[in-house]
Amino acid sequence: MLIEQLINGITLGSIYAIVALGFTLVFGVLGIINMAHGEIFMFGAFIGVMITSSLKAPLWVAFAGAIVITAIMGYMLERFALRPLRHKQGVSHLAPLISTIGVSILLENLSHHLFGAGNHPFRASFAEINFQIGSITVYLVQIVIFVISIILMLTLSFWLGKTKAGKALRATAENLETASLLGVDTKRTITMTVIIASAMGGIAGILVGMAFNSVTPQMGLSMGLKGLAIIILGGMGSVRGAMAGGLILGLAETFIVVYGDSGYRDAIAFLAIIIILLIRPQGLFGQKIST
Amino acid sequence: MIAELINPYYLQVASFMLINIILGISVYITLSTGQLSLANAGFMGIGAYTSALLTIHFELPIVVGIIAGALVAAICGILIGIPTLRLQGVYLAIVTLGFGEVIRVVFVNWETLTNGSVGISGIPHIGREILSTLQGFGFNPSMLGLQNNQFIFLSIFTLLLLVTIFIIWFFRRQHSSRVGRAFAAIKLDEKAAESMGINITYYKVLAFAQGALVAGFAGAMYAHILAYISPADFAYHRAVEILIFVVFGGSEVIWGPVFGAFFLTLMPEVLRFISEYRYMIYGLIIIIMMAVRPQGLIDVNMLNWFKRKRVKGGHKHGAGNQKGM
Repeated sequence: MLIEQLINGITLGSIYAIVALGFTLVFGVLGIINMAHGEIFMFGAFIGVMITSSLKAPLWVAFAGAIVITAIMGYMLERFALRPLRHKQGVSHLAPLISTIGVSILLENLSHHLFGAGNHPFRASFAEINFQIGSITVYLVQIVIFVISIILMLTLSFWLGKTKAGKALRATAENLETASLLGVDTKRTITMTVIIASAMGGIAGILVGMAFNSVTPQMGLSMGLKGLAIIILGGMGSVRGAMAGGLILGLAETFIVVYGDSGYRDAIAFLAIIIILLIRPQGLFGQKIST
Repeated sequence: MIAELINPYYLQVASFMLINIILGISVYITLSTGQLSLANAGFMGIGAYTSALLTIHFELPIVVGIIAGALVAAICGILIGIPTLRLQGVYLAIVTLGFGEVIRVVFVNWETLTNGSVGISGIPHIGREILSTLQGFGFNPSMLGLQNNQFIFLSIFTLLLLVTIFIIWFFRRQHSSRVGRAFAAIKLDEKAAESMGINITYYKVLAFAQGALVAGFAGAMYAHILAYISPADFAYHRAVEILIFVVFGGSEVIWGPVFGAFFLTLMPEVLRFISEYRYMIYGLIIIIMMAVRPQGLIDVNMLNWFKRKRVKGGHKHGAGNQKGM
């Protein structure tokens, strides 16, 4: 029982971690909170549903489709909602936040019109396959989700740490002007960051669809809010913090459903951040902020 | 003939417009220190539920309920403001957004008190209460040539109008007072304001609590006008809706949210076919406004231009500031 719940928690947590990575990449480079990330994630899930149930295509096509569509959405987001604000004089630091809120409600209501308000089941062909190890039941879906998440996180860590583009991204996150002086094409790096973050959101969307077997237009909001809570928990802009924060939240939510009141599941994330802001405002892995 | 002009439906729309104006002002107050609060829908919910529950279960007068609702919201504002306001503006936006979500989850789950997601019905109606009180003094709406129904909505509208005028008057006075100047200084530059001896935490919490108080008041009024509330009334969409009044109208002067709430409440009523796409249009408006005119339609320059125009009788000189009208 305990180990099964642990596995559930880790599966959920690794999805949360991927959603939070999308937030943390954009925050690290641009210093803004992308409120539309949850809705891009939701679109990724819907693309997955459309491809697997309407076109009856295999799962990898769904992943490819979701990545392409959400990457395009990421580009549009950067081009139309973020870039016009960037080098403008006298724009408050809240302007990009408000602008992405605009994108988020536009996308949420667009998906109401496109897909309907109801609940769409996500049919993975192997949803029912499970293994018995001793007294523990493990579903294949959980393993797939976990493996994909780990691969994604390792690739991202490698890419950020070792490749030239990843170094350019980190340099831009450190200081935009200096990176620009050192010959980094910051404009391209920023666009690329938003696109990668959005594509990760799209992948996470399909993973959530597989894990919960349901996709609704409202899921973007609740997942977006949790992603935000995780990056505060882990430390704003910290990649390691997003991964650890995601796992912590996933485990905490699973255990409150088992041992506490399931109705308050969605509230834990925010109680956690209020506590963390009081005790350690920079987050678990964040650097100290001078205020 | 006046009696025929008073249509309860129009008065209802006008009353909600006034409530939206009050809500818009509540965000404007917090924004005047440069802090974005997305919790005002939550504070509105706290005000609404407090007042509704007090008047239903303890049979308190509505006035007491409304005042208690506003005060409880303000106290929550102080409690949530103190830990978060020490941090940067972005944190505040997220935490307030999360706080609104926690409030909604509590309303849905605390079923013994709040009746869960079904909501509370049978809340005492403020218009009927006014009518029955006046009837106690021997007054009858037919003395004014009105039906009971018309009088009820007219009294709500008049009451809200008076309150709205009072709120606008109060915050305009405050804007040119010591407190208002401290708010403006904090908005321009926190560090500079602090080094000038302004207690920034005190003033930020004050602005936050004032916003919560006003939002709680609006929520309590909402509950007693609609006589029915549910957690969905105070969720994320309400928070965004309040925000857009300020973003569209303008956050520099108090007339911005007033105009924003007025225009955006009227628009879906006048153009019926729009109301289905209302939120999509809201989203587009937010994106376009941020890119083109981030300070909102009405800003200080525009007001100055109007003032100068009035003084100089439309002299050409003032037109220099008229940008992006």
